[in-house]
Amino acid sequence: MSAPTATIHVTNLSKTFHVPEREAGIKAALRSLVHRKTRDVKAVDQIAFDVTPGEVVGFLGPNGAGKTTTLKMLSGLLYPTSGEVTVLGHVPSRREKDFLRRITLIMGNRNQLQWDIPAIDSFELNRDVYRIPDADYKRTRDEFIELLDLENLVHKPVRNLSLGERMKMEIAGALLHRPQVLFLDEPTIGLDVTMQRRLREFIAEYNRRNGATVLLTSHYMADVEALCKRVIVIHRGHILFDGDFRALVDRFSAYKTIVVTLANHQLDLTEYGQVIAADAGKVTLHVPKSETARITARLLTDLPVDDLTIEDPPIADVIERVFAQDAPE
Amino acid sequence: MDLFRLMWKFFRVGAMNELQYRANLVLQLLQSLLGLVTGLIGLALVFTFTNDLGGWSRSELLAVMGVHIMMGGVIRMTIQPNMERLMGEVEDGTLDYALTKPADAQVLISVREIRIWQMTDVLMGVIILLIAIDQMQAGIGFIHAIGFGIAIVLGGLMIYSFWLMLTTGAFWITQVDTIIQLFDGLYQAGRWPVGIYPDWLRTTLTFLVPVAFAVTIPAEAVTDRLTIQVLAGAFVFTVLLLVLSRTVWKIGLRQYSGASA
Amino acid sequence: MKSTIRMYLGYMRLSILQQFQYPVRNYFYMVGMIAEPIIYLVVWQTVARARGGAVGGFTAGEIAAYYIVWTLVRNMNIVLTPYAWENRIQRGQLSGQLLRPIHPLHIDLAYFTGWKFVVIAMWLPIAAVLILVFQPAIQLSLGNVAAFVIALWGGFLVRFMLQWALGMLSFWTTRVNAVFQLYFTIELLLSGRFVPLSFLPDWAQSIAGWLPFKWAFGYPIEVILGRWSPQEIFFGFAMQAVWVLIGLAIIALVWRAGVSRFSSVGN
Repeated sequence: MSAPTATIHVTNLSKTFHVPEREAGIKAALRSLVHRKTRDVKAVDQIAFDVTPGEVVGFLGPNGAGKTTTLKMLSGLLYPTSGEVTVLGHVPSRREKDFLRRITLIMGNRNQLQWDIPAIDSFELNRDVYRIPDADYKRTRDEFIELLDLENLVHKPVRNLSLGERMKMEIAGALLHRPQVLFLDEPTIGLDVTMQRRLREFIAEYNRRNGATVLLTSHYMADVEALCKRVIVIHRGHILFDGDFRALVDRFSAYKTIVVTLANHQLDLTEYGQVIAADAGKVTLHVPKSETARITARLLTDLPVDDLTIEDPPIADVIERVFAQDAPE
Repeated sequence: MDLFRLMWKFFRVGAMNELQYRANLVLQLLQSLLGLVTGLIGLALVFTFTNDLGGWSRSELLAVMGVHIMMGGVIRMTIQPNMERLMGEVEDGTLDYALTKPADAQVLISVREIRIWQMTDVLMGVIILLIAIDQMQAGIGFIHAIGFGIAIVLGGLMIYSFWLMLTTGAFWITQVDTIIQLFDGLYQAGRWPVGIYPDWLRTTLTFLVPVAFAVTIPAEAVTDRLTIQVLAGAFVFTVLLLVLSRTVWKIGLRQYSGASA
Repeated sequence: MKSTIRMYLGYMRLSILQQFQYPVRNYFYMVGMIAEPIIYLVVWQTVARARGGAVGGFTAGEIAAYYIVWTLVRNMNIVLTPYAWENRIQRGQLSGQLLRPIHPLHIDLAYFTGWKFVVIAMWLPIAAVLILVFQPAIQLSLGNVAAFVIALWGGFLVRFMLQWALGMLSFWTTRVNAVFQLYFTIELLLSGRFVPLSFLPDWAQSIAGWLPFKWAFGYPIEVILGRWSPQEIFFGFAMQAVWVLIGLAIIALVWRAGVSRFSSVGN
């Protein structure tokens, strides 16, 4: 991947925080007045990746893995300790106005819209702050209102909206200036399933219509599964995996799940694999991935099978295995 | 008595807690010092132009200032933190925790918080008062000290009752915290003996917001102006306010519990 | 350019809309704040009477006028408190502001400007009551009133810039409260807020002349009271401009460093 065509180019990126250490007790408090002890925390350690225009990339990782820190460095909010970052040809930490007008950072639990006035008024303020030409603003605004079904909501004060409605509004407001790069940090957190799906569709549509590059962090596998072809797994500041979503599952899943429905409820299937659940004739088995075809064949020939399905393990389990592999000494 | 036992317990916990934050002590000292300097400058300025303010001499006004600072310290140390916490808990509904404890709710919400570092103001006020008495050269004897002690206690109880009624208003209106600023402003009026204010203000500062009882009356005790009638009147008024505030509190509680049921 | 003006108007409108939603809060605040000047007023009127009518060049009626105008000037020069910075930095508000392609100063300035119009509107009835009760002695002239309007907004700008600059200390330390308290105490004594500056001893008045505080407080008050000659008034405008520029210069120099530090440390 050649750097010039990449929208986002990251090499050797690291971020170390100096966290003050505090001990209990009077003596330690006295000592701390004179000498502050700090501990170095490597939030991000030598990561590197490139993102091409229009790509939708998912960042996966447990809390504290370095996802949010990375996003903050990409959006210019945090200075890297070492390494290089360029986004759209700009160095984010310089916070050039041109750069800021072409990106957006949406954090799931933070509100940018004004609380006690109708969202439409906040939209207009954004229009002025981002210097969006009137015609473009109107077109984009109307497009979003239609896509997200905001017609009846834009004139209500934001504080009167439900959580889901508010999130729709936040995302609409954050995209009014048609940024080319979207940084989304846990955008669907706390929302119900329907709303999550709604927002995902909107983001996918925005990406389709505008060719925007999207970096998304999420806890919810469904978000990543639905939107991202490419996944970067971060753990303890390192990149553990960077590639196709399917490849992630294939590489790190150790087993497959076979769910067998039998006519005879009394049969014991422990010889075929690890029995996870047995419930009124429906048995759930974990079998080693390489053995799947062979065991399936055996089940079908040996037993009176009414129904049989083969599933990948839940992505969450896969990811957990990925992290467990990286567990410390 | 139960009340005093509870007060002592909370005092210990609160004090231990706050003693950790020694930065707060330095900050508090600075604040008190700046307040004192400002007050002294004000006094000095007034007395570059006159020897007498409404019948009070310079050292007598110093005494008033001492009482004002001392009382302010007491209020910010014991009364205000509790009322502010009460207001917060009414707003987010966490008052329930206090209500389900096996102690009288009013006692509980009145003694559980203490800002120990405000003690600097109390000490400073006492020091100023003693300096002022020394400068006054009038004979201040045992009688005056007793009168002062009684007046202070009564004044404190009146301020407490007043704050309680004000805070109980939070059960009905939510924007009560701005009323706190109102009180702070009015309390500043206590820096000077209320006699100098126009009648309508003096009445307000006596009966509506008992600043006069908290500051001027005790100051009158040490400057030999206090009469037994006034002290007796203060006593009656205190009892009245205590009864009234407890009644308002009870009504407020019913309102609160009714509302959340 | 058009965008910037529209943005300013937008935030002014927002602020007016928002502040009118909290009339009780705003009124209580204003009324609570009035206690301070009334106390000064009464004390100094008492002193004036004890001296047979005047003190420091002010009659009792003029003292009343001084402190009543004070209430308007005070409301107008209340600006973004430096204590707010700690909040912004710790709670991540600043991050949100840094993502936008506009300097946060613009937004604060626009917001407060709008708010001041609400303040002026709300102040009028309070002023009426104060005038009835304290019967100030004042002679208004068109020139003085016009100059006052300029000086009033000038004072707002002076204090706004300087306090915005002061707040930036929070980038480097959280222990800023002590500094702020010291700053405000000096301001209280040497701005004309505590007493009219002419009440102070000469040496104090000289010091006050070098500090920015009087241009946001005593100067506008005395302009409308007719105590400054036209030349002096224009000199005052110039001084206000100087201090606004000094404030802006400090902000320009320090802001980058502050943001750098914030971006290195995070929140």
